Amino acid sequence: MSQLLSVNDLNFSWGRNEVLTGITFNIESNEVVAILGVNGAGKSTLIKCINRILKMDSGSVQVCSSNLASLSLIELSRHMSYVPQTVRTSFSIDVFDVVLLGRRPHISWRVSPRDQTIVSETLRFLSLEDFAFRRFDQLSGGERQRVIVAKAVAQDSNLLLMDEPTSDLDLKNQITTMKKISKIVSKSHEKSALIAIHDINIAARFADRILLLHDGKIIANGAPQEVLTIENVALVFGVSSHIVPSTTTQPMRIVIEDEIKETEEEK
Amino acid sequence: MILMISLATLLFAVYSMGTGSSSNLGFWTTVKIILGLEEGTEIQLAIIWDIRFPRILMAIVGGAALATAGALMQGALGNPLVSPLTLGVASGAALGAALAIVVGWSVIDNHDLTIVANAFLFSLIVVFIIIQLGKYRSISAESYILVGIAITFITGAIVSTLQYFATDAQLSALAHWSFGSLSRPTIENAVFVTMSLLFLMPTALKWSWDLNALSMGGDDFAISTGVDPVRVRKNILVLSALMTSIVIAFTGLIGFVGLAAPHMSRLFVGTDFRKLIPCSAVIGSMLMLFADTIGRNLFAPIVIPVGIMLSVIGGPFFLYLLLKRQGVRG
Repeated sequence: MSQLLSVNDLNFSWGRNEVLTGITFNIESNEVVAILGVNGAGKSTLIKCINRILKMDSGSVQVCSSNLASLSLIELSRHMSYVPQTVRTSFSIDVFDVVLLGRRPHISWRVSPRDQTIVSETLRFLSLEDFAFRRFDQLSGGERQRVIVAKAVAQDSNLLLMDEPTSDLDLKNQITTMKKISKIVSKSHEKSALIAIHDINIAARFADRILLLHDGKIIANGAPQEVLTIENVALVFGVSSHIVPSTTTQPMRIVIEDEIKETEEEK
Repeated sequence: MILMISLATLLFAVYSMGTGSSSNLGFWTTVKIILGLEEGTEIQLAIIWDIRFPRILMAIVGGAALATAGALMQGALGNPLVSPLTLGVASGAALGAALAIVVGWSVIDNHDLTIVANAFLFSLIVVFIIIQLGKYRSISAESYILVGIAITFITGAIVSTLQYFATDAQLSALAHWSFGSLSRPTIENAVFVTMSLLFLMPTALKWSWDLNALSMGGDDFAISTGVDPVRVRKNILVLSALMTSIVIAFTGLIGFVGLAAPHMSRLFVGTDFRKLIPCSAVIGSMLMLFADTIGRNLFAPIVIPVGIMLSVIGGPFFLYLLLKRQGVRG
């Protein structure tokens, strides 16, 4: 396994408000890594710093052995693709053309037959072929999200950066999409995914590793069964829970019981 | 659709070459003379090639350039209300023209080209300001528009001051320049604009990808596809400002086509910039040619400047198309 991403002591703040502090972790090839944390924990910010949408205050990021800052945006987008939380647009183009935008880093003047083939195959792989010639702005939120995932997959980069890629999807499509992402990562030698996610059971089922973010710091980094303990869940999410260990047929599950009320002293 | 409009524009150009106040040749006679199948009289040849051809060529390429500039700017700034005049390029050109007409100051000695040269130079100064603004990484689309408005106010104030001290003849010349007319350009001017457009248009088409990425999901989405929104926005604005400068230096102020042609094109081909840019160009040509032909013939031998005719004819047509679309949606 080779190292696709190395983040070392990354710090980011909005003015005086520190959002990320001393973030350090690596991602090897063929890994699905989930980032878990509450709203405002810094999940999206971390992904945007890695993708250079936001400029980190200090620290370093190595992508496929290259320094993030030394890469041009075209080079960067060949190494990593990005799925934003939502794409709200009235821009009206066909789904096929939206996914074709994922080939933008590989296209100079003309779209090659190979680019078109990759887009067609991606749409088929993600069961979106029926949508190919529908207008993007006429799709539902969930359908749009799947199309944006397809755009990121068609980009054929080493690292998929995904910011809650299943937040708008129905239950079936959440599972299907995560399975497809896992398949992409596992079938290729040089691919991984870093996914910010809210649903801890989805993370527990599909992630090889989980980064647990709390107050802008990584407080746990490891396999789901190591990170998703009752104590960590209580600390990060403020809820009591019990863990149902994985069996040969079922992945581990975290059953949320109730919110943990803060005592007067803690307040 | 684009091919059909192109063909219609070509046919209308031929009709327009045969039509005017001095001589109406008829469509087929004009076609035969153009193709060399019929030997026209010396006067007919002079009217077609020396008088009408330069203005018709200018109408086609000028309309295409301004419409393309409008489509590019609306995409780069993410604002459908933007036109090639928004960034202050036209105001810069107007200041240059006013200095030449009122003060008699020009950047060159050639008397025939003083207004053109001044208008071009001063619009290039605005382009230079845009380039300088683009160096700031934090510059937003709104900032460009606000700076354009500020430039328009500043240059407008200077032009108004010059007008205050101008003679009646100078005021008349300045007003005539600001109407926008295709009577002024010579064949050399029209060929220069054509060559410039042929050089700049492929770049505009290449950036249609980047504009699609920008329009699709804003700067974040664009960055994820390898598009640097700040650099692309600056480059596109400089390109469209250049296109605008090159045309209005020769024709005077023509604004409406740059706003209306992209909107009309959206009704035909949608918002995809790969189709929108070429479609805007051909619709811009068609609009300009149509307005100029009507302007030449409506009250012949008086020629109404194309800038006025564009607004008179294009405005209601533009409103009709927009209302029709709203009606369909409703």
